[in-house]
Amino acid sequence: MTGWHAPDRLIAGYADGSLPDADAWSLEKHLESCAACAGRVSRAVRATAAGPVLTDLRQAVLAAAPRAPAAEPRPLRAPRLLWAAAPAVRGAWLPAVLLVALGAVLLAHVADFSGARPLLLAVAPVVPVAGVALSYGRHADPLHELAASTPSAGLRLALVRTAVVLAVSLPLLTLAGVVVPSSGAPGAAAWLLPGLTLTLAALALGGWLGLRAATAVTGGGWLCAVLAPVLATPDGAVSRHLSDQLSLYVGGGAAQGGWAAAAALCAALLAVRRTAYDRLERH
Amino acid sequence: MGGHREKDEGDGALLRAVAAGDPAAMAALYDRHAGWLHARLTRRCADPEVVREVLQDTFVTVWRSAGAHRGEEAGGWLWTIAARRLIDARRAQERAGRLETTPIDTAPAGAGPALSAPSAEERALTGLEYGDVGTALNRISPELREVLRATVVDGLTTRETARLLGIPEGTVKSRAMRARAELRAALAQLTPNPMGGPA
Repeated sequence: MTGWHAPDRLIAGYADGSLPDADAWSLEKHLESCAACAGRVSRAVRATAAGPVLTDLRQAVLAAAPRAPAAEPRPLRAPRLLWAAAPAVRGAWLPAVLLVALGAVLLAHVADFSGARPLLLAVAPVVPVAGVALSYGRHADPLHELAASTPSAGLRLALVRTAVVLAVSLPLLTLAGVVVPSSGAPGAAAWLLPGLTLTLAALALGGWLGLRAATAVTGGGWLCAVLAPVLATPDGAVSRHLSDQLSLYVGGGAAQGGWAAAAALCAALLAVRRTAYDRLERH
Repeated sequence: MGGHREKDEGDGALLRAVAAGDPAAMAALYDRHAGWLHARLTRRCADPEVVREVLQDTFVTVWRSAGAHRGEEAGGWLWTIAARRLIDARRAQERAGRLETTPIDTAPAGAGPALSAPSAEERALTGLEYGDVGTALNRISPELREVLRATVVDGLTTRETARLLGIPEGTVKSRAMRARAELRAALAQLTPNPMGGPA
């Protein structure tokens, strides 16, 4: 820096502690920015009574080296995130969704079964609800205890996982519905709003009943409402009755508007009850 | 230890190697700086066990945060870490044995404005003979000198100084003012009219 370096007399006095304050202070300031003098003073101090202590500390400091210092390249996060975000997607639920979609397509095209579309529409809304049941809670996630202790646990995590479930099931089932011939049933996208509403209803109810019971109530309720009148009819035209029943529930603007209103209501209820998820399964 | 490094390798290069986990670089850094840090800490803390702990903590911290250092010379940075560690150690000590460390004199708190940056004695120091400053410093009391050292030489804040010395912040401020005034008076006595103005 300045070209000035500490004279040996100063260094010796500092090392043995005999240097007066004014000299010591100016040397200390110099050592902060002069590696050469720092090395000289340190060598002089090592020669004093502090030497053994410094040798001991040197061992301790070198032993405190962080393990695995060269960090290995970070693994790709997205697949792991998806893995963590959706216990349902990595379990039996995904094959079930594929089975429903493929089954409908095969029934329609290979077995030439005309009731494939109504059947698909009847089952489809239950699929995301089942996904929700398998997404959050002690029974669904072996790491739930750990996940529940993180700051993002609770409703936020449940919603993230629900979003993954919806992202998988909505396109798949709607696509399958498009491929399957209509045969009098409502359009392939008609189940979307009921599916969303049932999912939100399950989440909202989950705050009171727990997710498993809530999904059983909503999913089972839907299946009963759709299938019970059909099965109660004496004649055997099941698929036609199913079509009629579905048209009643999801066909037309009024029914869809009703589902939309119900979805909004459930969302509002969920927002109000959001703290219930923090205490889920604790009672 | 994986061989000795070139003696003239700069602090910056050593710290980059330490950040990557190189023990040889840490050894070289330790050999260059641990000695004077030990001496400097010893001048400020009479307990050799505390000095030892603080020095070890300092270099363990360096393992973790070597990557954060920018620039070439590491001495000032190392001292900053060591001073913080010393303050922490003092605070822990004080908490452990509060009974015996009651300060004897408690000067009135808030006895003046906070320290201002380019101070009178710093300007005065530049115009003086080297020996004069030493003589003047020796004339002021050890308590005042201690405060002067912590605030001016070690660059600590009022609060840090208070923690390091175990005195209230108000006392630090009043002592710093008194130290400046006495230093100025002592210098004026030694060299009448050093900066062309009355002290």
